[in-house]
Amino acid sequence: MINFLIDIGQKLLALLSFVGGLANLAGQAFYWALVGPYKRRSIFDQMKKVGVDSMPIVLLTAFFIGVIMALQIAYMMQRLGSEMYIASIVALSLVRELGPIITALVVAGRVGAAITAEIGSMQVTEQIDALETLASNPIRYLVVPRLLALSLMLPLLTIYADIIGIFGGYLICVHKLGISSSMYLHITFDALLLKDLFTGLFKTVFFGMIIALVSCYEGFNVEGGAEGVGRATTKSVVTTFILIIAADCFFTALFYFAMP
Amino acid sequence: MLFGKTKLELKVGIFVFTGLVILGTFILLIGDFKAWASGRRINFLFDFINGVKVGAPVRFSGVDVGQVKEINFIFNPQENKTKVQITGWIRREVKVPIDSTVWINTLGLLGEKYVEIIPGKDYAHLVTDQPITGEEPIATHEIAKLAKNIASDIDESIVKIKNKEGTIGKLLYDDAIYNDLEALVADLRQHPWKLFRKAKEKPVTKQ
Repeated sequence: MINFLIDIGQKLLALLSFVGGLANLAGQAFYWALVGPYKRRSIFDQMKKVGVDSMPIVLLTAFFIGVIMALQIAYMMQRLGSEMYIASIVALSLVRELGPIITALVVAGRVGAAITAEIGSMQVTEQIDALETLASNPIRYLVVPRLLALSLMLPLLTIYADIIGIFGGYLICVHKLGISSSMYLHITFDALLLKDLFTGLFKTVFFGMIIALVSCYEGFNVEGGAEGVGRATTKSVVTTFILIIAADCFFTALFYFAMP
Repeated sequence: MLFGKTKLELKVGIFVFTGLVILGTFILLIGDFKAWASGRRINFLFDFINGVKVGAPVRFSGVDVGQVKEINFIFNPQENKTKVQITGWIRREVKVPIDSTVWINTLGLLGEKYVEIIPGKDYAHLVTDQPITGEEPIATHEIAKLAKNIASDIDESIVKIKNKEGTIGKLLYDDAIYNDLEALVADLRQHPWKLFRKAKEKPVTKQ
């Protein structure tokens, strides 16, 4: 019984120190991000890693998601005899929800894990300490470029994902379900509002921040060699996924009640 | 330090530029900017608007020409009655004659409400700022009441028919007419001359 309580207490303390540490890192990172000056070269480097290099996998995922959505909705809508609405449901669910979340999860798995592994192995090989010895702030040097790159690139990736997802739904509806091409496009853009697009994109900025901060945090906190790096990477991806989905829930509720 | 000289910057540039172009196109396709560009207000007065919301479409001759911008209450001291004024925003080129009929109509699967304008004939006088009084939409509960009344009437008649009352009831259940008719036909077959005899005795002079 006592052990059980001790266990719970330790978990709680670990959670609180995680929140505190993350807030500390976030505060410093935002400070340095606002103050500048930036290392342009490393920002562009990260932008390429996050944006350009993630594009194929994000586009592939979004395309399949669009196809799947169209088929699944068609299954229901054909029973009701209203195939017309497939286009609007595919467009709305992609732009409002699936585009942002799929992009964020794919990038978290691909880029977040890489960031943790990179910073973690730097920590293990004491390169971070070396940076501090050379009077370079590791947060400014390592975290800020990643934070900026992720929160700038994720909305852009989401736009690509939205378009490709709608294109996937278009292919299925036009070539398999016999809805005319111009009709599909018309219904798609008729159903969407600017609000849908912007709430979807707004979320992704925060998803990018979550990915950058959590991955860097876990990277800095690596303990105990190569095995520690592996553990930290797993932990970083899991934490990022949970936080992204929780944040998504929060923003969806916020937009639902604040902007009906 | 030189900018814009590396392959890295080129790749990121292409990515960002394409993304922004797609975003711009998307916004242009979604946003209905033409409707804002030139339009004018039009007011309608109703007693009851059956749940029309701001943003509901306004249709003229069945074409979407604008949307509802505001819904306000207006107290009319002469009639001592509160009315609902709908302010719509419609395309400028749409000329609405003053004797147009306006009512609230229901659209599509989910029963979205919209304002329907059926143009009148008096194109010499166009609607300007003064509100057009709309025809009242029938509230759903009134339709239900009407349907119920009709159903109960029909029910009553059917009960009468079942109880063999009234002409239809007798026609269906009473075989007296059938028997008479059969007897008449049999009689006529035997004595066809009966048909002619009456005609000769009483030639039809009246119409």
